Amino acid sequence: MAPAQSGARARLMAAFGGSYLSSVLIGTVAVLLLLGVWEIALRFFEVPIWLAPKPSDFLARLYTDRALIAGHAFWTSLTIVEGFVLGVLVAIPLALAIVSVGALERGLYPVIVFLNIMPKTVIGPILIIWFGIGPLVAALIVFLMSFFPVLVDSMSGFRLVDRRLFYISRSMGASSWQTFWKVRLPAAMPHIFSGMKIGVVKAVEGVIIAEFIASNKGLGFMIVRASAFMDMTLMFSGLVAAAIVALIFNGAMSIIGQWLMPWSRH
Amino acid sequence: MTDTTMADMNSRIPSGLVDPVGEANATGASINAKGLTKVFGSGENAFHALGPIDLDIKPGEFVSIIGPSGCGKSTTMLLVTGLEPPSAGSVEIDGKPLTAPISEIGIVFQDHLLLDFRTAINNVMLQQEIRGLDRAKFRERADALFARLGLTGAENRYPWQLSGGMRQRVSIARALVHDPSMLLMDEPFGALDAITRTQIRHDLEMLWLETRKTVLFITHSIEEAVGLSDRVLVMSKSPGTIVEEIVIDLPRPRPAHLGEYPEFSKYAERIYRIFEKLGVYKF
Repeated sequence: MAPAQSGARARLMAAFGGSYLSSVLIGTVAVLLLLGVWEIALRFFEVPIWLAPKPSDFLARLYTDRALIAGHAFWTSLTIVEGFVLGVLVAIPLALAIVSVGALERGLYPVIVFLNIMPKTVIGPILIIWFGIGPLVAALIVFLMSFFPVLVDSMSGFRLVDRRLFYISRSMGASSWQTFWKVRLPAAMPHIFSGMKIGVVKAVEGVIIAEFIASNKGLGFMIVRASAFMDMTLMFSGLVAAAIVALIFNGAMSIIGQWLMPWSRH
Repeated sequence: MTDTTMADMNSRIPSGLVDPVGEANATGASINAKGLTKVFGSGENAFHALGPIDLDIKPGEFVSIIGPSGCGKSTTMLLVTGLEPPSAGSVEIDGKPLTAPISEIGIVFQDHLLLDFRTAINNVMLQQEIRGLDRAKFRERADALFARLGLTGAENRYPWQLSGGMRQRVSIARALVHDPSMLLMDEPFGALDAITRTQIRHDLEMLWLETRKTVLFITHSIEEAVGLSDRVLVMSKSPGTIVEEIVIDLPRPRPAHLGEYPEFSKYAERIYRIFEKLGVYKF
């Protein structure tokens, strides 16, 4: 590459690369460009709305049907929170138990791994018979999806705590309870948290599918119903809303992580 | 460094340090061990790591154990505190047989082992939280130690915001804040650069001179062992046994450049010779 060219490129990188703001800017420009091309192409080829809606159609629908969409988005969010929180509350103590008791590691852990290989949505119809169609079943599916990554990373977190830290806490005369709360759990937190991050990704992925098959509320349910009515515009609006919900949850996780563990940025 | 008189030294002693907090004893404890042995595992996989060794450490004495890697130095430290049970032999602290881990001790390892999620001062205050002692009084003592160790201003910084040397200073403060009777250090300066190591060695010596804890110092550095100790125990390769005991009769505080003492080279030479004879060094 010629020096002049690489110099120009470096300036371009300096102008657009680097800062957080500029990466947001580039992302926004790219999305707007895509939507623009989409809009123009569909207008130019006169594609009927029941086949593929224009961005102007489904973005307008996002506004006009905002009460309906926000209501379903609320249920989807609630389902994510319920399933995910339940997953974390079960996974962390279970991880500690598995790491601490050798018999559990050899006996219980393979069973959990096997259950995890099974596609979670397959359990949906069974859960529907047990609990009836509703957000509860969707939350349980979300729980099953987000639970495993939290379990695995919590296990390695608890295991990787430096043994010598336990010598130090014992030299302070700490009880095993104190050692757990003041040393082991916080020291394992970065690992637990990276498991929770993956868990949230799984949860927002899983929740829509769970609502497709097993719920009567939420964005997944709204999209399936819109599909039944051939309401293509509402389906696309639902997609956008689902993406926004996913963005909010992933973003919230990153912010919580940076707030709880400022050292992890270094 | 110029000669330091006793008066100079006294002027450096902040009053907050002499005041004991909690149940620990301000003066050093004696350590006596007989036939101390550690074997890890059993049957065919058994690994004889240490011993048998005898120890006779007087109250307030600064004793180093020096030896090659993996000779059981660190194990010795864990056995005399009860943090690990011995396979054979017995330990007495202040004449009382050791049956369970004791808490009148402070430990410093090669890695600072500070908790990332606590500030420097809160890492030290963990001692107070776990021991359930008076926070205000303890904080006073922690502040005095921070001042003494040159950590003033670093109280609210997190470990990742401190240099390697400062982290190790915080971990020394954590080991001393509850005024233990024994300080156990496992290659505490091993991960530091030479300049930092010399300074922190001196600071530790000054702290020891005013508090007179019993110190068991594990190292593989001849300079550190001779530069700090009253007595150096030289350990053989695994399974470690004590092959020689060298009394270091040098004035204190000792200078940054130990070469100022011609005797230093003689002590260092002696340890090298022992290592050569043991096959630690092959030239």
